[in-house]
Amino acid sequence: MTTPTTFWRLAGVSYVQYVTKASSTVRAALKEPAKSKAMAQEGFVFNRSHWTDGKQGEKSLIDGLKKVGK
Amino acid sequence: MKMVSAAKLKGDEGRRTTAIAFNNWADALSGEPKLIEDATYEELPAKCLLVPICSDKGLCGGVNTFITRSVKNCIKALHSQGKDADIAVIGDKGRGQLRRVHGDKIKLSVTEVQSPGNFTLAAAIASELIASGAGDYDAIVIMYNAYKNAATYNQMYKVIKPFKGEGEAEPLLAYEFEPDTKSEVLTDLQEYLLTSQIYHSFMDGAAAEQSSRMTAMENASKNAGELIGSLTLKYNRARQARITTELIEIISGAAALED
Repeated sequence: MTTPTTFWRLAGVSYVQYVTKASSTVRAALKEPAKSKAMAQEGFVFNRSHWTDGKQGEKSLIDGLKKVGK
Repeated sequence: MKMVSAAKLKGDEGRRTTAIAFNNWADALSGEPKLIEDATYEELPAKCLLVPICSDKGLCGGVNTFITRSVKNCIKALHSQGKDADIAVIGDKGRGQLRRVHGDKIKLSVTEVQSPGNFTLAAAIASELIASGAGDYDAIVIMYNAYKNAATYNQMYKVIKPFKGEGEAEPLLAYEFEPDTKSEVLTDLQEYLLTSQIYHSFMDGAAAEQSSRMTAMENASKNAGELIGSLTLKYNRARQARITTELIEIISGAAALED
């Protein structure tokens, strides 16, 4: 692949992560009560497991985009 | 319980409506969702990643079973056509049902997902899929329950193929890109398309699950009512029989004393 030209790719961030971070920043800049209502739209949590040869690996708790893919 | 499900369904319906409006553009690029019921899967390429969207909770009728059965049928059809598929399952119920038959095909599982979902969750799931090698597949096939009304839902699938940037089937061939970094833009668009499709499928699936749960809870309440009725009748009969026996004993005893 050629050298990335967009700044988020240069920083090692995917477009989806960049969009999510941007929307999160906009939400954080809101005033109350709109802020707490909007912030509720970005919380999430799930468990992720990678499987090898039909065996489930260890579960990892994912509650932020920083933990995704690690 | 039915009332609780009905209240939750209203919220899920609202989120689904928002997701449909948000995801309208995606159908133009990756095609309309197709019904699983009459699918032959002949249009699917040689190597696919199946993403069944199931739930983490039970007591919701056949919502999860329909999807896992569809996955099994799809893999069977693909094998008969000489194609291969792996699975990245979302939802604990789907994981439990698929690991028995296709455990060797599962590459990723996402369970105990917080409900209700949001776009950030879809972004995280899409990023997980990409991080676990979704880009190496010829197509990503999302299988989900599509909500129709409070009593009906269908199983649908969406095929997301990577943009090649050339060829006849390429949807973005007529477009020019500024700046001229088409491959990068297409990669970004591909990621965003996957996120958007997962977001819509997740919301549709959540509404279908809740509607199915509402029906299941209604049936459960009805069955419990019938069971209470039959047990009350049995109890009263036993009580009556005991009273009758006691009366007979007293009368017999009194008659014996008189003699």
